[in-house]
Amino acid sequence: MIHIIYISRAVRPLSDQDLQGLLAQCRRDNERNNVTGVLFYSHGNIAQLIEGEAETLNPLFEIISRDGRHSNVNKLISKPIGARSFPDWSMAFHPLEPNGFEALQGFLLPTHITPPPSSLTIADAMLLDLVKLAVFGVEPLAPKSI
Amino acid sequence: MREQQLQDILRHMPAGVATLQGPELRYGFVNDAMQAVLGSPITEGQSVMEQPGIIPADLLDVMQQVYQRGQPYIAKAYCLPLADNNDGTTAPQRYYDVALEPVREGGSQVTGLLLFAMDVTGQEEARQRTHELAIETRRLDTRLRVLTETVPQITFTVDAAGTYEYVSPQWHYFTGQPTTADLNIIWPLLIHPDDRLRVLYQTEAARSAGVGWSYEYRLRRHDGQYRWMLSRALPELHAPDKAVFWHGALTEIHDQRELAEVLRRGEAELRFLADSIPELIWTATAEGFIDYYNKYSGEYSGLSGEELGPAGWISLLSPAEQAGAARRWIHSVATGESYEGLYRMRRHDGRYRWHIIRARQLTDARGLRWFGACTDVDDQHRLRQVLQTQYDELARTNRDLDTFVYTASHDLKQPLLNLRGLFDELRRTASFNDPQEEEIVVMVDDALYQLDLTLQDLAATVQDQRGLSAPAEPLDLRSVTEEVLLGLRTQVQESGAVLELDFEQVPTLTYGRANLRSILHNLLSNALKFAHPERTPHVLLRSTLADSGNPILIVQDNGRGMILPEEPAPVFQPFTRQHPQIGGAGVGMYLVQRIISSRGGHLEVASVIDEGTTFIIHWFDALNA
Ligand SMILES: Cc1cc2nc3c(=O)[nH]c(=O)nc-3n(C[C@H](O)[C@H](O)[C@H](O)COP(=O)(O)O)c2cc1C
Repeated sequence: MIHIIYISRAVRPLSDQDLQGLLAQCRRDNERNNVTGVLFYSHGNIAQLIEGEAETLNPLFEIISRDGRHSNVNKLISKPIGARSFPDWSMAFHPLEPNGFEALQGFLLPTHITPPPSSLTIADAMLLDLVKLAVFGVEPLAPKSI
Repeated sequence: MREQQLQDILRHMPAGVATLQGPELRYGFVNDAMQAVLGSPITEGQSVMEQPGIIPADLLDVMQQVYQRGQPYIAKAYCLPLADNNDGTTAPQRYYDVALEPVREGGSQVTGLLLFAMDVTGQEEARQRTHELAIETRRLDTRLRVLTETVPQITFTVDAAGTYEYVSPQWHYFTGQPTTADLNIIWPLLIHPDDRLRVLYQTEAARSAGVGWSYEYRLRRHDGQYRWMLSRALPELHAPDKAVFWHGALTEIHDQRELAEVLRRGEAELRFLADSIPELIWTATAEGFIDYYNKYSGEYSGLSGEELGPAGWISLLSPAEQAGAARRWIHSVATGESYEGLYRMRRHDGRYRWHIIRARQLTDARGLRWFGACTDVDDQHRLRQVLQTQYDELARTNRDLDTFVYTASHDLKQPLLNLRGLFDELRRTASFNDPQEEEIVVMVDDALYQLDLTLQDLAATVQDQRGLSAPAEPLDLRSVTEEVLLGLRTQVQESGAVLELDFEQVPTLTYGRANLRSILHNLLSNALKFAHPERTPHVLLRSTLADSGNPILIVQDNGRGMILPEEPAPVFQPFTRQHPQIGGAGVGMYLVQRIISSRGGHLEVASVIDEGTTFIIHWFDALNA
């Protein structure tokens, strides 16, 4: 089993609808492929951690990195892990219209992101925290208007 | 019959047909289409001259002239104002080809006119649009020309055969070549000889593949200097795979290239410098991801930059320090504050060495970056630790000696008192005859007084300094113990001792704070100091109640053990040392015993050589003391 962390930039800002569509597609496909992890999105900044078997994860990363919705995909780490750290696949972002989102499976408000699980090494947990900082900035609490 | 047929045909013709008769030009036959053109209903015999309707004056004029001169005339795309709509809005203009044909009925005399009107509005509008388009094209063309001739770049067009079709005047300006020069011969000659073949080949290759190009080469300027240029061109495709022209631009990039070269050289030099320094040096992106480790980092850690990764340095730190170091780094990245910390870093052989890790932010034209260094301070740190241990030891010995002086002065008080009593008794009962003896008595008296004062002063001095006589107060045993352990942390760390603290049953004790600290310090430091060399020290502290109901403290270790003086009530004497090979002033246990008994309790001890020692402090002997 391996995990991959990358950061990227959306080619153009993703709308609530774009994000919701991505959430639905990824939840469906990732469940089928036994891929878990978390995706952060804010103001065009994207970061994602995915974990799963190397045979599925490497090709998936290839597909994701060629996805036309984002560019400057920078793979920060890809390495073997002993166990998963995420129970499923979820996505954290600030919807412009948060009302419908709270109930969506796999959706998280950035303020509700839990600290990196202790099953990650401290180095990987720090990397995830840095990535979160890079996406949401210092204060993920206050949703900024675009 | 034939006349009728002809009329039918004429009537339904899509063009307007009418006959005008006589010099007054009276309407004869008017077909439906003509009716529609003229708008208002026409009655036969009605004169155009008298009721022209929509027919403008100039057309009337022409009609008359055609009639008089007997020559036909055709007005192309003639604009007839249509009758206004019923609702008063202006109808759109319509255009007609109007033909006027003189009619000669039986002779050479003109007797009337044949009027044709063919609606050509569609054609006319198309023509006008074409005209406007042509004007617009000319305008755009001019604009393009102005632009191509004013931008700093040289622009050019090459055809499919590789012939230069166009080059903007900047080329002549740059190269100093006259406008009469043959581009296709001169241009290749102006390319730097080292670049020429490459440029010609690349251009040729792009042209035959029908794709654009982008390359850099040196071009000779009017002053003979070769300057670096960037040539970029894109094909103009007339069919998906048929490129007919290549349009391109030539940009001078000499300065940028020189600058980039300087930067590259500067960066290479800095990297070389960084790689030569026997210190771990790294850089990180604004987001805090390490993107460069110098060579020494690899040598020290035994890991490549790839293996370390953007956050891998954290995993080099000793496990207990990783979380704190990570938190501090995230804080620095979030706030921009410099980073500094003292950590143990694992070397390739698994040994940890103390390092100071420092990092600072640099913002310049190329954005924000972090520069960090890890300096090995292991030797200094170890030296400091040794000094600290020695200092702690000295401070403790000093304190013990103070306490000893205090207790000794206290202990001497009683014998002194006895001495004075005896002396007074002696003076009372014995008689001195010698006057000199009288003097001696006074001297002894004085000396005893002096001794008393000295003892008092001694006691008072150290008592004040150490707070040994402080009144009893309720103390939390755990927190006092933890304070004492803080002072002993180096010894605890070095020996890897396991301490078990159990104050649950009697958590508080009313006692003098300095006294309690002194007792705990002595017992704990002895337990660590006299640890058995072959096992991890294990020290248990338990506060509980004795059968009598009085509080006791049990301090048990698994150390070397000792031979106890004088059973059944062992008394520790000052300056006796159980294990002469181990440092100490040899007053500690004596003091502990003194303090405990001075506060109304006693110390019990059991020990087995090579197994360990157990002290039981009975804080108070009397019930409810
Ligand atoms: C930022 C980002 C993250 C993505 N993450 C995932 C993912 O975790 N799992 C996944 O299956 N597809 C993910 N995708 C989508 C894939 O790139 C790709 O669009 C999708 O797998 C193609 O599915 P299809 O072949 O069924 O159309 C992601 C796309 C983007 C832009």
